[in-house]
Formats: sequence, structure tokens, C-alpha cells
Amino acid sequence: MGESKNPEMKFLIPIGLLLLFPFMRIYGGEFARGSPFDALESAFLIPLIPLLIFPLIAILGQVYNKEDWWKERFKEGGMIAIGSLAIALSLSVWLAIQFFTQGTGDEDALRWNLFNWISFDVLGQTADGTWVTMQQDVALGVGIWVDPLSLMLLFVAAFLCFLICWFSLGYMNTDPINEDRNHRFYAEFVLFSAGMLGMVLADSFLWLFVFWEIMGLCSYLLIGFYYERPSAAYAAKKAFLTTRVGDVFLLIGLLILYDLYGSLDYAVIFGDPSIGGTVDAGMLKWAMLMLFIGAVGKSAQFPLHVWLPDAMEGPTPVSALIHAATMVNAGLYLVARMVPFFDVTSHGHGVEGLGDVAIIIAWTGGITACMAAMIAFVQNDIKKVLAYSTMSQLAYIFTGLGVSLWLFNNDHHHAAVIAFGASMFHLFNHAMAKGMLFMASGSVIHEMHHAHHHVSDPGDHDDDFDAQDMRNMGGLASKLPVTATAMAIGSASIIGLPLIGGFWSKEGIIAETWSATALYGASWMLLPAFLILLTAGMTGFYMTRMWMMTFAGKPKSVFAGHAHEATPWIRTPLVLLSVISLLGGFLLSLLGAIHWLGEGEALGSALEHDGAVMTVLETIKHAFLPTDTFLLLITWTAVAISLVLGPMMAMRIHGGRLAKGESAHIGIAWLLPLSTRFGRSDVTELANSGVADALQRRLFFDEWYDAAVAATVIPLANVLAWFDKRVIDGAIKGIEWGSQSISGEVRKLTTGSARDYILMAVVGTLSIAVLMWRVAV
Amino acid sequence: MIPAEYLAGLGAILFCIGLVGVFTRANAIIVLMCVEIMLNAVNLNFVAGALHHGDVTGWVFTAIAIGIAAAEVAVGLAIFLALYGEHESISLDDITDLKH
Repeated sequence: MGESKNPEMKFLIPIGLLLLFPFMRIYGGEFARGSPFDALESAFLIPLIPLLIFPLIAILGQVYNKEDWWKERFKEGGMIAIGSLAIALSLSVWLAIQFFTQGTGDEDALRWNLFNWISFDVLGQTADGTWVTMQQDVALGVGIWVDPLSLMLLFVAAFLCFLICWFSLGYMNTDPINEDRNHRFYAEFVLFSAGMLGMVLADSFLWLFVFWEIMGLCSYLLIGFYYERPSAAYAAKKAFLTTRVGDVFLLIGLLILYDLYGSLDYAVIFGDPSIGGTVDAGMLKWAMLMLFIGAVGKSAQFPLHVWLPDAMEGPTPVSALIHAATMVNAGLYLVARMVPFFDVTSHGHGVEGLGDVAIIIAWTGGITACMAAMIAFVQNDIKKVLAYSTMSQLAYIFTGLGVSLWLFNNDHHHAAVIAFGASMFHLFNHAMAKGMLFMASGSVIHEMHHAHHHVSDPGDHDDDFDAQDMRNMGGLASKLPVTATAMAIGSASIIGLPLIGGFWSKEGIIAETWSATALYGASWMLLPAFLILLTAGMTGFYMTRMWMMTFAGKPKSVFAGHAHEATPWIRTPLVLLSVISLLGGFLLSLLGAIHWLGEGEALGSALEHDGAVMTVLETIKHAFLPTDTFLLLITWTAVAISLVLGPMMAMRIHGGRLAKGESAHIGIAWLLPLSTRFGRSDVTELANSGVADALQRRLFFDEWYDAAVAATVIPLANVLAWFDKRVIDGAIKGIEWGSQSISGEVRKLTTGSARDYILMAVVGTLSIAVLMWRVAV
Repeated sequence: MIPAEYLAGLGAILFCIGLVGVFTRANAIIVLMCVEIMLNAVNLNFVAGALHHGDVTGWVFTAIAIGIAAAEVAVGLAIFLALYGEHESISLDDITDLKH
């Protein structure tokens, strides 16, 4: 590869055609009205196709592992994987188009029941102890549920999985360490995609749980892809076990829900979550709390956050991206699905008195946001910074959802809808930006790795050079111009630079949290509100620090001076996602994405109503000059600390011009001289202090958990081991010893001599004869 | 005419003689001969029955049993030949293949 300018394009022509398929189908559909086949009814193919491709890649890969055609044409399964994901993406786009053109009618969601998987009767015991059939023909169905929330997540998941797969073709297949085992990666990858797509489309909590667990499994497999490395094997186990803790609670929560509603179908539960006002709020509160703990595990929130940083052991950008842009959103999706339970406004049938759970959600979010941002301050591994940033941004969304649920539960419909929409919008912006940031970091790591191979002696590969350590980088802005620009845009989106991507949603979350505290009397929300405002500034610091350490100043190692952007397949997804991160937030804000996500209001209704210019002006005015003085103050405080204070402090420490003769991409060239304008501060003393050390060691969470396990689980395990060895094994060994000694005696009878056998036969016959004679007489 | 009880008694005695022979002798051919004695003891019982009841069925059975016994001896001797080929001996004490 590398002779032609863009070799990837040649392979992607068929995929482009596949993407056209839904459009052709729609226009073709005009002629075939009444055809029973439409986007909703083919939506089940979105998870099903990747699910079927998974064994195909695994088996073909195992059989044709070493063949040239498998490596060259099929990229060790990558082409099959990207093809199936292209189909999933095109079907998702088709579904979205149908959703926008037809709407949901009178229903909350587009629903389609595929078939009934199992149907059974429910038995129950009456007061006098007899068993009777309580419910007949209860069906566990397989179906599709599409509303704005699931549609948005479906698009995010399908789009990002497709782009990640594309990126992997460049990243995975050019590294000799992955040689002959990439099919395993691609097989697990499509299974993961199937899990995410299926979870989003599921129409009941049961299927949500099934796909949730599929993702958990794939997460384990992908983190442990380099299973020969002890650290990777340990990280995989840790991720699996930590999320398992959450999953147990999730399962308990689902059982409580089933007990309350007699079904896990969204249609049944969301139809009337209060069952005409008879549901037990105390029980429902526990169910909500359990579901939330499940979400905490999946989305790596305090206190089940310990697995996410270690998940960076997986194949560099790719599994990292899964754990940043798609899978961790599953927990948010679950919490967002709780809205109907909380909605006591005139629009819903929620249950009153669930406000405590909402406060717990917001507190968890606030604490995690601040804690993760603090830990991100001192990380030197570029992927670890992004991992903690992910945790922190997800915590923003949790805070926003907690606030939204509280407002829903206290009958403030309008504010609740805005908070919910802003949270989900932040999920979108964050996923796009973080997906791109991880790919960019993968690009950096990849090129550092290649430079290291290039520069160092070929025989000398076992030195401990770390291609992910930002202390070895620096000055890469001129070497990797596309990556540097993309990363600057992604960081700006995460920081919340006005007008770019994440600004629109993050300001919404902060403003709604503060207004819930100050205007709607949620005094318990003060701490999360304060923490996420503080975190906005911290985000500015750690993202700027990461960018400056990587791209600004002079190269800090000889390898950084030799890096260059050469690998194909990596650039296209970066550029695509940069554009979305840069403009997507603003455009979607103009279209009214927050209201669409929050209450299903049609996209673009404001544009239609007011015209383009007025909408732009209104949107900007609404964001920067809210009529309420208090909100104005909060907005500008957030902008000031995230845009000025945080980045400025980072630049004082890590900023710097490039080496002489080097020049950066025009879009970011102005940043580098700017970064030297704020003077210089010496932080050696601070960096060596106990605080920095505590943060380096992630606030000792791993040690605490180890100690807790050592104090509780290990003694229990010892007791169980003793029981197993002595009692269970003892019983089995006793049986074994007994039967062996009995058979030792019995076998002496078989002498092998024919005469002995005849004797036995005669004695036997005589005995029978005597017996018969006795019976007869 | 000899009473049927005497014939039946003779049959029982002959059967016991044959049985003892089967248990005590090592040579397979002698064992086979003893088996033949037991067989003929049973034939004698048939004959006694036929005499006693004045019925011809017993005679017919005897005739068939003698024919089958002859065929059995042929098979038995063939087996002994095969055993001799295998073990260089037809002493039942030497042949304990059933143990394994």
C-alpha cells in the first residue's frame, strides 16, 4: 500500500453503493405503494446482519488465516466487517429518513413486533395454597422500538462503528504484532456492534439486558485482545468483573420491574408506569436505583469507574474508542429510558416521590465529573487522559439526566425537557468528538511507533519506549498536520469552545442544573451544579495540556522528530468526524435538536417558522444572552473558566513554539505562538507533591478495592475452598475409594477358567430351580 | 418292562457323573465327552417320559437331540483345534482368556 494516493477509496466503492441502497428503496417505494416491506420492518436486520457476520469472520479467519487473498483482499475479515456495518448504517439512515418523513403518528414511538419468542402461562399460588393460572399466554416478543432517543443512539452507534472499522483497516492491518489474528478482532468487533445496535433498538428491558451482556462479553474479549500481556489480561478481567457488579444490580432491578408490571415490554410499562396510580413508589424507587447502579457500571461512573482507564490496554484506538464513544453510552441510554417513570407532569403517567433517585444520579455525576477531571490533570499517557475525559463528560450527562429526572418528578415539564434534550445532545456531541479524538490519538501512537521502529536499531526492540507517553512527544503539529488539527477541533468541542460542538449541549446542562438549584428549589443539586461548573474549567486545562504536550514545542524525543503521517485509512474518518464536531453542534442546535430529543418536537420547526437568519440569531442570543440575569452569569462564568482560565494555565506550563523551520497547519498555526504569551509557570514542586502523587495513583481506588476484596472476598473464598476440598471432594473421593475396593474383591471371582464359570452357571440354575420349587409348593 | 422311574433315576445318575467329570477333568475333550454324557442323560429322561405316557413325542425329541449333539461335537472339536493352534494345549487349566 502507499503507491496510489488514496488506496482505500478503491475498496470503498461498493460500500458507497450500499449506502445509496435505502434512498433507491425509498424512491422505488413510491411506485410500489402498499409493499409490506419498509424501513421499520427491516430494522431488525440492523443488529442481525453483524450478528451473523460474526461467526462467518471467525470461521473463515480460522481456516484461511495464512492465505494471501484473505490478507490482501479481505484484510483478514475487515472488508466483510465493514461491509456488514455499512449495511447496518444504511438501514439506520433509511430508518431515520422514514422516521422524519412519516413521524410516529399518535404513538410515543414507532413499534414493530417481529415475532413472539416464547409464550407461557404464569402460575400463582392463591391464599389457600392451590396453584392456579394467573396470566395466560404471556408472550416474550422480539420487536423494534424507535423514538428520537433510540434513533439518535442508533445513528451514533452505527456511524461510529462503521468509521472505527474503517480506521481499523489502516491501524490494525499494518502492525505486524496483529498478523494472523486480526480476524479475531474483526469478529469480536462486529459482535460488539450487533450488541450495541440491538440494545438501542430493543423493545423490552429483557432484550436490552441480553444485548447489554453481549457488549460486556465483547468488551472483555477486545480489552484482552493481547491476552499474552499480563496487564491486558488483568484489565480484561477487571472490566468484566466490575461491570458484572453493576449487571447483577441491573438484573435485580429488572426483576422488581417485572414483579410490578408483569412484563418487561416498553409498550406495557411506558403505557402507564403508575398502573392507574396504584404502583408502590417505594418499590419502584428501588428498581430505579438498581437500574442506575447497572448504568454506573457500564458507563464507568464513581464508584464503579476503575475499569475504564485499564480498558485502554486493548488494541490502541479501537477498543478505546468503543469504550469512549459507543459502549459507555449504554448506561446513559438506560437512565434516559427511566423518564416515563419519573414524568408526573401532564404529559406522563409517572410516579411521585422518586426525586431521591434523581438526586443520587446527579450527585454521582457531579462527583465523577470532578474526580475524573482531577485525575486527568496528571496522566502522561495520551489515551489515559482521554479515558478520564470520557468519564468526566459522561458524568456531565448523568448530572443532566439526574436534574432532568428530578424536574420531571417535580412537575417542571419545560425545564425537564430542556435538561433531558441537552444531556442527550451532549451524548451525541461527545461521542462524535471523543471518537475522533481517540482515532487521532491512535494516529499519533501509530506514527510514534513507526518512527521508533524506523529510527532505532532493528535488533533492539526490547527497550521500554512507550509510544503512548506524551513526555516522548512534542512538536508533532508540523509532522502530523491533519491529526493535530483534528485533535484541536475535538478538544475544542470537549472543552465547549463557543459555537463548536459540545458548547451547545454543555452550556445547556450547566445552565439547567443551576436553574434547577436556584429557580426550582432543588437545593440538593447545589453540589453537582457547583462541581460541574468547576469541571468545565478543569476540562479546559487537561484537554489543552494534552494537546500542548503532544503537538506544541520542540520534539521531546528523537522519535517524535521522525514521525510523519503516512498511513492510509486513518485520515478519512478523522476529517469526517472533525467536520461533524466543528459544525454538527451548531447545525443541530439550529434544527432544535434539544427539543426534538426532549419532547419529540419536529426537527427544523423553528427554521420553518422564523426563517434561517432569525433562527441563527435567536439560537446565538439564547445561548449567550439569556433573559434571566442569573443564567447569564452562569453561562459567562462557564465560558470564562473553560475557555480562558483552564487553557491559559495549561499553556503556561506546556505551551511552546515549534522548532525553527517547522510550520503547522494553517488552522492551528496561530495557537502555538499564542501559547507562549501567557508567561511560564514552574510546577515541578507541585508535580512532585503528595497531591500529584495521589492523583497519579488514581486516588488509590484500586488499592482500596484490593483491600476490600482482601478483607471480604478472599476469606470467604478460603472457607469455600476448604468446604470444596474437604466436604465435596471428600464425598466424591469416598465413593471412589469404596467402589474401587468392592470391585477389587469382586474381580477375584473372574478366574478366566471355564470350569469356574460352569460351576457358577450350575449353582445359579440350581438356585433358580430351588426357588421355583419353593414358590410352586 | 423296566419301570420309567428306574430310567429317570439312571438319567439323574448319568447327569451327575457327567457334571462331576466337567468340573474335575482338565482335558477339553474329556470335558466334551462328559457334556455328551449329560446330554444323553437328558435324552434318557425323554425316553422314560415317552414310555410312561405312551406318547411318541419324547422319541422324536431324542432323535433330534442326538442329531444336534453330533453337530455340536463337530463344532466343539473344531474349537479345540483352534485353541490348540493358539495355546499349544487343550488343557482348560492353561486357557484363562476370559479373564481379560
